[in-house]
Amino acid sequence: MLRRRFLEYMAGSGLAALMGSDVKAAINKPSIRYLRPPGSHDEKKFLSRCIRCGKCGENCPNRCIKFFSTENGVSSLDTPYIIPREQACILCMKCGEVCPTGAIPKIEYEANAIMKDVQMGKARVDTNLCLSFQGKTCGVCYRACPLQDVAIKTGMLEQPHVLDKCVGCGLCERSCIQIPQAIRVIPQYTG
Amino acid sequence: MNNKLLTSKYLRHLNKLRWFSLSFIFIMLIILPFIHLYQTYEAAHAYDLLTPTEKMISDTVERLTSSFVKEPEELSAIKGNTWSGSLFGLKLSDPLAVLGQVAASQSLYWPFIITALIPLIFTLLLGRIYCGWICPATLIYELNDNLAAWLRKAGLPVSRRKLDRRIKYVVLAVGILLSIFFGAVMFGSIYPPAIIGREIYYAIALGGFGAGAVFFLLTLLFDLMVTRRGFCRYVCPGGALYSLLGRYRLIRIKRNVETCNDCAKCNVACQFGLDPLNDNFGMECNNCTACIAVCPTDALKFTVNVHDITYQGPGHLGHKYRNEKN
Repeated sequence: MLRRRFLEYMAGSGLAALMGSDVKAAINKPSIRYLRPPGSHDEKKFLSRCIRCGKCGENCPNRCIKFFSTENGVSSLDTPYIIPREQACILCMKCGEVCPTGAIPKIEYEANAIMKDVQMGKARVDTNLCLSFQGKTCGVCYRACPLQDVAIKTGMLEQPHVLDKCVGCGLCERSCIQIPQAIRVIPQYTG
Repeated sequence: MNNKLLTSKYLRHLNKLRWFSLSFIFIMLIILPFIHLYQTYEAAHAYDLLTPTEKMISDTVERLTSSFVKEPEELSAIKGNTWSGSLFGLKLSDPLAVLGQVAASQSLYWPFIITALIPLIFTLLLGRIYCGWICPATLIYELNDNLAAWLRKAGLPVSRRKLDRRIKYVVLAVGILLSIFFGAVMFGSIYPPAIIGREIYYAIALGGFGAGAVFFLLTLLFDLMVTRRGFCRYVCPGGALYSLLGRYRLIRIKRNVETCNDCAKCNVACQFGLDPLNDNFGMECNNCTACIAVCPTDALKFTVNVHDITYQGPGHLGHKYRNEKN
């Protein structure tokens, strides 16, 4: 290989490594399944708006908002995230109230406004793990849901069915008594 | 009247006031996470389930704040840090945060931009006032500089080499370019006051320091081993921005040539390596008043002028002494 070509190659791959911390790569990373605070813009817009001041976490009465170190790429450094299985969002909307940059828009603490504007993800039930689908009546996720019968409904034997209005707060995932959890929020990373 | 105030001999105590301001802000940054913890304990309504340490935190904060507020909710009046915070409904942000965010998002979000207005006005009037009087990192950097002086006294080699001041403008420009390129605000992770505000919160409320703490320790080592107050003078993007904004600051320090005795204590006291003795303050001066505090003849005063005056020659008092000697 020509030396020049080789150097070009090296420079290119170096740039690619830098780009590796790009938004797309962060989303596709399989090991971390995180949510952004309720009402956040889609990932790209969110990262460009957030100034990493940490006020959302400082106002969260539920202590569910944590902050990335380097594990999700350089772009995500010090940005807020929620791991619903550890501590799920209670949709109090206080983070949006204090966010200075509008990365987390202000959303009224009211069911219709929340259902309209919050889209952290969608819950999905694993029928092989779910107790209710295995013949043992459970229904814990339904009882944990703040938007009962709108975001989730139960059928025979309390079998949960997630509906379109689910905002992805993750309270069902947090409350699931199965290990591993039979219901989990699939993040949407979209506004 | 105003002029008399600007040149009174009480000016030398301003440095103490500055230390009070720096310490107060730093202590607030430590107290606020505890207040947040207390608020979460209250919100959970589970006092009996708290661990002994948590109970202690809850009790202490309650005792300290109960005389000011009725409900823990009201403590939210003061939130955030010097990077971006709210003070009784008044939202304030660092101009560097606004600049970085505008570069990253390539859009103007006015409710946020307006929050930098008050700091911006203060900077235009007083130059790097933020660096000297508010920045929580300055407190540690100045203590670190005292440590360097002790180490020097003990015979350890503490380097004080000079670099090019313009490096920090390059850092600022590169930071803006990277913010545009990545579409993310990059300043937050290399800007010491932002790091300090965050890391104190992480350490107290989230149980441990994050990646920024390592970076901050490196900057301390840089100051100790490479150059005096090196990060603030040569690297800090915020310092660069404030230097540019404070280029034509209205209020600046001026040497009074009649009472100056050429002792050069001001040049030694100036941690930014400026040259008050030769009337050379420049853009970098952060009005920290350390030179005023050490001046034995009170020859340094504030003045209202958009430019530094040209070199006035050696101090008359020093001249007199020299003549008497001969």
